[in-house]
Amino acid sequence: MAKAKANPGTLSRVLKYIGRYKLLLPLSLLFALITVALTLYIPIIVGDAIDLIGKSPIDFEGIIQLFAFGAVLIGLTALSQWLMSTINNKISFGVVRDLRADAFRKIHKLPLSYIDKKQRGDIVNRVINDAEQFSEGLLLGFTQLFTGILTIVGTLAFMIYINWIVAIVVVVLTPLSLFIAKFIAKRTYSMFKSRSEAEAHATAYIEESVTNQKLIKAFAREDEALLGFDRANEQLRKSSLKAIFFSSLTNPTTRFVYSVVYAAVALTGALIAIACKDNGTFLGIGFTVGGLASLLSYANQYTKPFNEISGVITEFQNSLACASRVIELIDEVSESEDSEGAEELCDVVGRVELREVFFSYDPSRPLIENMSITAEPGERIAIVGPTGCGKTTLINLLVRFYDADSGEILIDGKDIKNVTRSSLRRAWGMVLQDNFIFHGTVHENIAVGKPNATRDEVIDAAKRAHAHGFIKRLSGGYDSILEEGGENLSLGERQLLAISRIMLDTPPILILDEATSSIDTRTEKRIQDAFGIMMNGRTSFIVAHRLSTVVNADKILVMRDGKIIESGRHDELLSKGGFYYELYNSQFAHE
Amino acid sequence: MKRLLKYLGGYKKETVLSPLFKLCEAALELTVPLVIAAIIDNGIHADNTGYVVGMCLLLVLLGAIGLGFSVTAQYYAAVASVGFIAKVRHALFAKVQSLSYRDLDKLGTSTIITRMTSDSQKVQNGLNLTLRLLLRSPFVVFGAMIMAFTVNPAPSVSFAIAIPVLSVIVFGIMLITMPMYKRVQGGTDAVLSLTRENLAGARVVRAFCKEESEISDFSKKNASLTDMHKRVGMISSLMNPLTYVVINLAILLLVYLGAIEVDTSGGAFTQGEVIALYNYMSQILVELIKLANLIITISRAIASADRVADVLDIVPSETPGSVTECADSTYAVEFRSAGITYDGAAEPALSPSTFKVRWGETVGIIGGTGSGKSTLVSLIPALYRATEGEVLVGGVNVNEYSEEALRDLVGIVPQRAVLFRGTIGENMRWAKPEASDGEIYEALKIAQADGIVRDKGGLDAEIEEGGGNLSGGQKQRLTIARALVGEPRILILDDSASALDLATDARLRTALRESLSGTTVFIVSQRTSSIMHADKIIVLDDGEISAIGPHDELLRDSDIYREIYNSQYGGAKENG
Repeated sequence: MAKAKANPGTLSRVLKYIGRYKLLLPLSLLFALITVALTLYIPIIVGDAIDLIGKSPIDFEGIIQLFAFGAVLIGLTALSQWLMSTINNKISFGVVRDLRADAFRKIHKLPLSYIDKKQRGDIVNRVINDAEQFSEGLLLGFTQLFTGILTIVGTLAFMIYINWIVAIVVVVLTPLSLFIAKFIAKRTYSMFKSRSEAEAHATAYIEESVTNQKLIKAFAREDEALLGFDRANEQLRKSSLKAIFFSSLTNPTTRFVYSVVYAAVALTGALIAIACKDNGTFLGIGFTVGGLASLLSYANQYTKPFNEISGVITEFQNSLACASRVIELIDEVSESEDSEGAEELCDVVGRVELREVFFSYDPSRPLIENMSITAEPGERIAIVGPTGCGKTTLINLLVRFYDADSGEILIDGKDIKNVTRSSLRRAWGMVLQDNFIFHGTVHENIAVGKPNATRDEVIDAAKRAHAHGFIKRLSGGYDSILEEGGENLSLGERQLLAISRIMLDTPPILILDEATSSIDTRTEKRIQDAFGIMMNGRTSFIVAHRLSTVVNADKILVMRDGKIIESGRHDELLSKGGFYYELYNSQFAHE
Repeated sequence: MKRLLKYLGGYKKETVLSPLFKLCEAALELTVPLVIAAIIDNGIHADNTGYVVGMCLLLVLLGAIGLGFSVTAQYYAAVASVGFIAKVRHALFAKVQSLSYRDLDKLGTSTIITRMTSDSQKVQNGLNLTLRLLLRSPFVVFGAMIMAFTVNPAPSVSFAIAIPVLSVIVFGIMLITMPMYKRVQGGTDAVLSLTRENLAGARVVRAFCKEESEISDFSKKNASLTDMHKRVGMISSLMNPLTYVVINLAILLLVYLGAIEVDTSGGAFTQGEVIALYNYMSQILVELIKLANLIITISRAIASADRVADVLDIVPSETPGSVTECADSTYAVEFRSAGITYDGAAEPALSPSTFKVRWGETVGIIGGTGSGKSTLVSLIPALYRATEGEVLVGGVNVNEYSEEALRDLVGIVPQRAVLFRGTIGENMRWAKPEASDGEIYEALKIAQADGIVRDKGGLDAEIEEGGGNLSGGQKQRLTIARALVGEPRILILDDSASALDLATDARLRTALRESLSGTTVFIVSQRTSSIMHADKIIVLDDGEISAIGPHDELLRDSDIYREIYNSQYGGAKENG
């Protein structure tokens, strides 16, 4: 993470996002300037007052005047400090909101090929954690980097103004702390590395064994598992101790450097003050005890941002790297836009035609080649074939999850590239292999396609999908909360829910892609009957590996290596004695 | 946090010494303003250069001693916190080992993992910081005030005013913002899960054209998160300006009161002492802000510690018995009205069921999705305990066996074929650590897995995480072999051949029949072909036994069995 580099263009893109807050930005800088200047000026007032105490009789009048002025400045400092923070909050949280919104919008524009290929956790990480870290870095950068630099420059200027000799002493000694911090960081790097290795090892062990705790239990392996864990745990303890202890040396040592700086300021300051008392000036400087008080206070203020700034700079670099990851996502190539003048696909009759379609995921490995299919309205088309032959790919093309490389796909004679994607997908009802369950109630999950459906409609759909039985056994029935991804349901139950979705609201063309693959054969048969009713008058595409579910199709397309090698009705294909015949009989072999 | 304190037991010395050394360091820091005061009053005012040099060397010396104290403190803190958390993690892991299936269901494995990793990490950091800093900050704050009063009580009144006001500001803002930050976290989680969902469910979202409604949902949540951020940011950014005002007004008051004191005391109160007080005031502010940040870290650590302690406090719901031998019984397994309702379920997963299985019999179990097949077999090795009736193995109630004895007696091959990282040999020796290579190969041969092992390069071949270098069918065969190595008298195969092609499946069944003639075997399957040759077939429907008998009998008498059979064999032809 720390090593991550930002892309060169990132900064300008980030500036563009910040640019939306054009008016606030200079205000923030202005208030920072005011804050720093006033903060630095106050010690001078205090120093002057202390000098007034040194004289006798004490000039109370003068002190009060000085303090009245000081109190006003203090109030102003606080006000401008608060205004600066508030403006910075507004800018950085606003920028992150805009960035996140763009990233999320992008997710829906990304071609599915990207989503399928990329690790999901990586994309989520960009939208959430990277954006978050960016906002934190941005905020820190605004508030601390700028004020920090101003403070360093300002204190230096004030110190030089009060006493340039002492100022030089401070300037020469302070960087020592940076060297020490760097030295320690370098030395501890390998310790942190071995700690993170030990940590990764322990975490992997925990993940593996806790995830499979039931298996360990089933074999009564608890003692062995604990023994193995203790080894990893001890390793982690040892390496953590080293890394934590040695890295924690940074603070005390830099503090020690500051105390040396402090002593040096006190020494040079005091000696000059003594010299001034005798001669009035020393090397042209008039210097008093009050001045020394101010200088000591500046020495403290000067060292503090020094320590912070190196941290802030790494943080800021890191945050730019985070921003560049988010921007990279936003800049990904989108799915092609709907073509100009794309029409709405409505009143679909259901004639589906593929003309010489070619497609491959990877140009070096052609998948679908020169495919032409015609489905008349109301026909049931079954697609069968061995794993990896391109069945699901074909489905992906029909609904434009992927675009064909060449050739045309027509619905009711209209090229699907010339209709809007949303109207195209509304025409299709799909039960897919991956039936995603959203976090929400059973009711909401069934009513995805028809959010205003009544409970009765939902129950009716679930009953037709034979999902009612398991739903009513859930502790909250239709109001049971399902976990994201449906982790608390079995594969078969998830399929039943997906079927309920389509039963609730049935579009004119259907796709059933292995819709019942995880459901037991007996329930499957009953669902087939319900499908039968649903498919009446609707063009349907059925992908299945259990051939018993496709025998009733009007046309069976037998696919192999991306090509249709046989097509026809069940009996025709059987009597042909070809590949389908082989496939069909292999199901009943060995008995 | 309290509930975890006993794990600090071995680190008493470190726990006391670390804060102690830290306090020593703080005490040294508190003397610095006095040294500065002495430099001004005895050095500058008395024109004593040697004194100035000496005192400045003293400052460096104080710094060096402080460094020594501080390093010692850091060391003890690191030893105690790292050692403490190692003990806690051990206890957590050991606790997880004692949990039953039921407990694991209730808890969920992912939360256990978080508690053992990131929560533990937070507790460790919290403890480390607590040891180092928690005592230090109040010590410096009050120490500075007391030192100020010893220097001169009259102007130090401003401390007595400033400290309470500062405390109210710092802790007030902290108290107000802490719950707000928690809500911000909640808001982030909402945005996160929505993003994850939209990626995982991208096809469904597009299939149902839900893009726009999802985007507007996200906008709402995103905007509300931003608002929460801004609101809490606005309040917490009050902290710096307010403390700044208080501290600086207190300094003005201090100098003014100091001036009066200098005026009236006639030289007893010096200019150097005014500066000393001024420095004390600055120290206080720095420490208070450190303390506030520390408290935020600690309160997070405490929340994590509570989550960790919650796991440690779980009392395992089941304690195994002590019987080590089975009784002299003709029956291997006996269900006496045994049934189970899972926690929180509305209806039983298995209604009270009664049946007996003789030693050496093969029993097939068949039924639809969710009909209770796995539940039934999991009662035999008491992975779950029957909530009604009783289950006997070898004439003894399964709850009375010691865990070891029952596992030796009953071997199970679970539905999900999981192998652990390590060599194949290590995985095969799970049920019998002392098994020879010959014994393992024998088991592999029966499970039709000897070829796999040979291809992979023998028993020393490594298995990747999650068995990534093996196919589903290979994993299934290896897990069957793993159970066979233990030579259990009762073997349960829970749909554990589903990924095998029909020919391998048939060979496996033949091998099992021939080599394990004395073993009682339970085969759970959705395929009639896998169980039709069993001595007895149990047909389950909706959590109830609907019929028991051999294949021919069931085909004749059981509608459900016939329906299942036909759906896999004759069904297609009838329809066609």
